[in-house]
Amino acid sequence: MCYNIDVNSHLKPLGKYLLIDLLGSIAWFPVWWYTVGLKRQAVKAVRALEYRYQAYGFRIWIRNFFVPMYGQYDFGGRAISILMRFVVLIGRGIALVVEGLVLSLGVAVWAAAPTLFLVFALTNLSKGLFMEQVKFLLG
Amino acid sequence: MQENQTIEAIVCKGCGGEPRLSAQCKLCGGAGIGVAGTDGFLVWEERVDEFMIALRKARRQINAFFHLGLLAVVLVFLVLFAWQANRLEDLGELQTLAFWVSGYWYVTLFWFACFFGTFLVFRLSEYSVESKALPNWGKTHRQLEHEEKIAEKKAGFRFDVAPYFSVTARDVVESAYNLAKKLQRTEVTPQTLFAAALASPSGGVFMVRLGMQFDKVKEPITNVLLADDAGNPPVHLSRDAKKVLALAYADARANQRRHVEVMEIFLQAFKNSPKIQDVLDQLGFPPEHVVHVGEWIRLRSKLKEDHDRFQALAALKPKSTMNRAMTAQQTSLLDRFSEDLTLMARNGYIAPAVGRQKELAEMLRGIESGRRSLVLVGEPGSGKTALVEELARMMVEENVPPELFDRRLVSVNIAQVVAAGDPGMAAERFLSLMHEVGVSGNIVLVMNNIESLTGAGLGGPMDLAEMLASELDKGYLLAICTTTPQAWTRYIERRSLANKLIKINIPETDYEDTIKVLMARSGLIEYDNKVFFSYAALDKAAALSERFVHEKASPERALDIIREAAVLARKSRGKKTFVTADDVAKVVHEKTNIPVESMTTSEASKLMNLEQKLHERVIGQEEAVQAVSRALKRSRAELREGKRPIANFLFLGPTGVGKTELTKALAAEYFGSEEAMVRLDMSEYQDKASVYRVIGAPGDDRGGLLTEAVRNKPYTIVLLDELEKAHPDILTLFLQVMDDGRLTDGVGRTVDFTNVMLIATSNAGTPFIQAEVTKNTPLEQIKRGLLENELKGIFRPEFLNRFDGVIVFRPLTMDDVTQIAWLMINGITRRLAEKGMNFRAEDSAVEELAKEGFDPLYGARPLRRVIQEKVDTALADLMLQGKVGRKDTLILEPGGNIRVEKAPEL
Repeated sequence: MCYNIDVNSHLKPLGKYLLIDLLGSIAWFPVWWYTVGLKRQAVKAVRALEYRYQAYGFRIWIRNFFVPMYGQYDFGGRAISILMRFVVLIGRGIALVVEGLVLSLGVAVWAAAPTLFLVFALTNLSKGLFMEQVKFLLG
Repeated sequence: MQENQTIEAIVCKGCGGEPRLSAQCKLCGGAGIGVAGTDGFLVWEERVDEFMIALRKARRQINAFFHLGLLAVVLVFLVLFAWQANRLEDLGELQTLAFWVSGYWYVTLFWFACFFGTFLVFRLSEYSVESKALPNWGKTHRQLEHEEKIAEKKAGFRFDVAPYFSVTARDVVESAYNLAKKLQRTEVTPQTLFAAALASPSGGVFMVRLGMQFDKVKEPITNVLLADDAGNPPVHLSRDAKKVLALAYADARANQRRHVEVMEIFLQAFKNSPKIQDVLDQLGFPPEHVVHVGEWIRLRSKLKEDHDRFQALAALKPKSTMNRAMTAQQTSLLDRFSEDLTLMARNGYIAPAVGRQKELAEMLRGIESGRRSLVLVGEPGSGKTALVEELARMMVEENVPPELFDRRLVSVNIAQVVAAGDPGMAAERFLSLMHEVGVSGNIVLVMNNIESLTGAGLGGPMDLAEMLASELDKGYLLAICTTTPQAWTRYIERRSLANKLIKINIPETDYEDTIKVLMARSGLIEYDNKVFFSYAALDKAAALSERFVHEKASPERALDIIREAAVLARKSRGKKTFVTADDVAKVVHEKTNIPVESMTTSEASKLMNLEQKLHERVIGQEEAVQAVSRALKRSRAELREGKRPIANFLFLGPTGVGKTELTKALAAEYFGSEEAMVRLDMSEYQDKASVYRVIGAPGDDRGGLLTEAVRNKPYTIVLLDELEKAHPDILTLFLQVMDDGRLTDGVGRTVDFTNVMLIATSNAGTPFIQAEVTKNTPLEQIKRGLLENELKGIFRPEFLNRFDGVIVFRPLTMDDVTQIAWLMINGITRRLAEKGMNFRAEDSAVEELAKEGFDPLYGARPLRRVIQEKVDTALADLMLQGKVGRKDTLILEPGGNIRVEKAPEL
């Protein structure tokens, strides 16, 4: 016995499906970019910030704020330690804020990118110079 | 094997799970059947048919083509832009806005390239990731506990498992569909899924590890598939197949996998297909083996996944001894006497532990309970260190209770601390260490073998246990100690230190867990030796080490064996070979001297001819010879009960009839040499105190004569000569040996007697035997008479009952003695031949000797004396007088005369 696969019965719907898939993706692109994609970027930025937050050990440092560093339990040790912790926390806080800003900038760039690129592209396209140059290039 | 079948699948009420109906069922959305899981009601919703398969394939190809094309366009545009921009006379133009918006053709292309670039990013992130990561992937214990809590809320919702299947796993589902279609079946069943998984690359690895050849299993498995319902398309996923896919998801989740992989489908399909199980079992692959190999391959890839995650988390852990809160202090003294396990784990020097979840949970619970310090009590090799190391890895991941957070695990070398010799100095050093731990505040101490703190190894006044107890009492210190059960009972249990510690028993791993440890650790051994382990090798190592190796506990002893087997395989066959079960058996044989390899033909023929061989040395006594050789055959064919000695025999009979001789002959023929036996003359054990000589005095590490001998040489004959003379207490000891095959010595070590052949001889009841033999009573009747009457006052019935055979040696007849005389004369011939002389005896002379040496009361012993006096002495005289030289022939004649035939002159 031999079983023939009926290829034609599948080719049509397949082609249709793929065309919709491809064209659909063009329509889906802007929606995706500003919903799913943007959210994904934001989440990534937040995770990166969280990782940095963990790496800086804020929680550990705040919890141990009054615990002297390097086991120096005398008054001087405590005082210096509190001061140091304060300074370091401020320093790391600033670093975290800067990193946060950089990451937010990344998200903003993500949001702006396609629109900006398209606007610039279309602006250039609409200038008479472009058409002239293209005509010249094509001879 | 049936474990997963206990997870009840729930069938849709609307369509009854019937594949054809469920396709249109609105109630279940096409799922038909599912199982309850933590993420909800697990179902496989995706349609698997030609269209979907073709779509997936076409999509993959078109996407690849499209993305490459898009990338090319972007690159060409950018290159054109760069080329043109480079030709600008004034590059400063690039800094003006006007340049970017003036409409230059290449600037326009640049902007389009950027825009298409964003589109490409969108396409790549949305259209090329084909499977999702499992929801519990990479989560900590705490997050997982939280998920378990909210599981009930999700229970009411359908959860489609299909998106979590990896690309290769989906390929398997699709090739199962194609297989069913090709074989003209109406449904994809668990069998089809199994066959498809077996034919995949992972299946190939599986077969290699199991030692399975595809050609040999192809036909039987195809026959199983052909037994499914035949029919025309469309082909559907059967109810059971959908259940298998849902279970594969549950399995992957339970094992914290990233995706559902081929091995999960493989294992679940196998577990849910009794037909496949039967077929493979018949082909020599028992279900446990198949499942184990599947789990092994899965474990390998899981270890790899875990490693990647571990490395990401390890980057957060400090590289130095300082903790992240920076409250710690330098601990220079401690650093000198210790090693930092968390640092080692962080740097990747510690392998993950497998299994032992129960003990780990117990440890963490103990630490969280507030009484804090722990002691792990287990035999050497049972995995105490591995557990501590696993804790170090968890501390690196910070996947631990708050008590262990941001701390380091430091293992102190107690032997070095107490090595000062001077107790005062050791105590001072110890206190300084404790002080450092205290002020540093971020250290969890590990102290291996804490019995050395009590001076156990030294026997002196070096006792730091009380000191440790009082330091623990102060509460600033968290310690994890280890010790062995014997040391715990002997040195620690009744001291105050014991009260400060939470005891956690670490039992030996059983066969199943040992196999898992071997699977996990074999990778490194393979890498080191450039060889590969077959499953049979690991299975053999786990099984044989459990039975025959007793110096260490499992899993360490099994690991030792596979390490040696790997080296053996590499040295004998070179790199890139497989370590087989025979390699493992060879290692075990060399270690224990027990023949555990599969029997070779020469050995089999040796066993078959054993009776004949024994008869060459022992004259008469057919019953005895037959009984011992049969017992050995049973033992070697692995047909005996595993938990008893190879055989227990009681040889009864008059002196000099061959009881001891038979034992010696057996030792020489089968156990290698006459000396391969442990012989105890029970006349030396007549008083009660001699029990200690047999098993060792309590607390005496040297052990007893018998227990030590058997511990060192477990495959041997134990000969108890003249048993009736032993003290009854000693006989009681042997009750246990004969029944359970083990004996505990004075120190508490259990000695294995299961590879011992226990032979006791006794001449109790001799007058009765002699009298009955004279009356020509059959041996069977004599034996009954002995057991029922004669031996009653000597041995207790329960003792006699434990012998596999009570064998009566009948007194020797004149005929027997003549044969023995010939044996002895042959012995003289051999000895003289060594001196270069020939010797022979005339028949009548030997008969004369036999007649003279025959004594029904004393067996063959008088004959030996007669031959010594008449033959040996005469020979000695001749030699001393120089009447006989090399190459001369000596002839024994009647009357004890020895004639010398001189060799011809040269």
